[in-house]
Amino acid sequence: MQARRLHRFVIPLALLLSVVSAAAPQITLPNQKDSLKFAIIGDSGTGSKSQYQIAEQLISTRTPFAYEFILMMGDNLYGGSDAKDFRKKFEDPYKSLLDSGMKFYATLGNHDNPNERFYERWNMKGERFYTFKPKPGIRFFALDSNYMDPKQLDWLEKELAASGSDWKIMFFHHPIYSSGGAHGSDVQLRQQLEPMFLKHGVDVVLAGHEHFYERIKPQKGIYYFISGGAAKLREGDVNTRSELTAKSYDSGYHFMLVELGKDTMYFQTINQDGKTVDSGSLTRFSDADKKKLAGLATTQSSR
Amino acid sequence: MLSLAATSAFTQAKPPVNPDAQVLADFKARIDKYVEIRKKADDSAPPLKKTDDAAEIKAAQLALGERIGAARAGMKPGEIFTPEIAALFRRLIHPETKDPDTKALLNEKKDQPKPGAVPLWKVGMPYPEKEPLATMPPDVLERWPKLPADIEYRFVGKHLILRDVRANTIIDFATNVIP
Repeated sequence: MQARRLHRFVIPLALLLSVVSAAAPQITLPNQKDSLKFAIIGDSGTGSKSQYQIAEQLISTRTPFAYEFILMMGDNLYGGSDAKDFRKKFEDPYKSLLDSGMKFYATLGNHDNPNERFYERWNMKGERFYTFKPKPGIRFFALDSNYMDPKQLDWLEKELAASGSDWKIMFFHHPIYSSGGAHGSDVQLRQQLEPMFLKHGVDVVLAGHEHFYERIKPQKGIYYFISGGAAKLREGDVNTRSELTAKSYDSGYHFMLVELGKDTMYFQTINQDGKTVDSGSLTRFSDADKKKLAGLATTQSSR
Repeated sequence: MLSLAATSAFTQAKPPVNPDAQVLADFKARIDKYVEIRKKADDSAPPLKKTDDAAEIKAAQLALGERIGAARAGMKPGEIFTPEIAALFRRLIHPETKDPDTKALLNEKKDQPKPGAVPLWKVGMPYPEKEPLATMPPDVLERWPKLPADIEYRFVGKHLILRDVRANTIIDFATNVIP
């Protein structure tokens, strides 16, 4: 009887301690007053212990680094999309963020039911692909890379052409550059999207799908990140000899923090223990450089 | 004799009929008929709309599926993918399978539903939500007939399904489309 009482007491205490012990990771970002701050999670919807660990780290960074929203790179719900799945794999782990009014912007992964686009807390406007502008001069484009049909490509072409934004940031599930052994670069998707990215001066492309973190060396004037390890991990999957990689991390779970200034993007990637596994800053390529690089790429690809 | 040959040539001078165009027109007509059925079902089902209540989304999805099912009572495989239409899709995919990138995507095993998990014996069944949706090669989508909103092509192994996105049901399927 006593043992049972003790058990009832010890387990909640252990859980509480594990939450309290998630000390806020050291923030290395400049944390400037007028910058746009956001976080990134990818392949997060498992409801597993690792998802909750990353969620705790994400929550604890909010105090020192007041990010305004979270981008979800797809596979937001594995194994079903019943109300209980939403609860266990989204609403519970991020409860304190949701309660504080945190906005999430999702993109669909291959494990997501496309009807998840109607879930208002993911701000998809009931669409498989959409765009939003959180601040003047910065525009995000969310794509459904599972089903890149002509309708979506036409929409993207029009939206990019009409976008006068300084920063153009794409996010979708399948990476078009990747050093993953299990999947690797989605070359077909690259053939469809990259010419449009180059034509319209896209700056940054974010993806998930690969269960690791990878920062790709700039490709034709565009920065690429893969962040697909907020609850899933494919240990040792990054090809360490890949010429694409600037930095990778495939030995733990992670999430990203990003800060956008006028022409600089700062990033910090943090693992489940609160340790920083990558950080740095990137300067946007100027329009002239982008045009030059795009021209060069066209010449190379036509050879 | 000459007169007979001239008559025969005259008879054959009708505008040539492209058999593929006929099959495609038939495919379109069958899809249009399905869309009509869905529209009627949609009008009587609770709307699938933006909500922060996930249970509402699921309830609307299921209700739509049930209403379409009732309207298509007695439906059989092949109502859309008739043998002629299925044969055309098998031909249409053929050039794509020669492209190494498309081939790689079509053969991607990791993101395919488990063999046997997707019901390919009865139409109108729900697509199992525990299974991933195979990513469609963009060049295939570019060349194949366009579909109305919320109806999509998906591969299940070598087989092709037509899926109602909002009802999450399998409208019809064609087996062994990928060689």
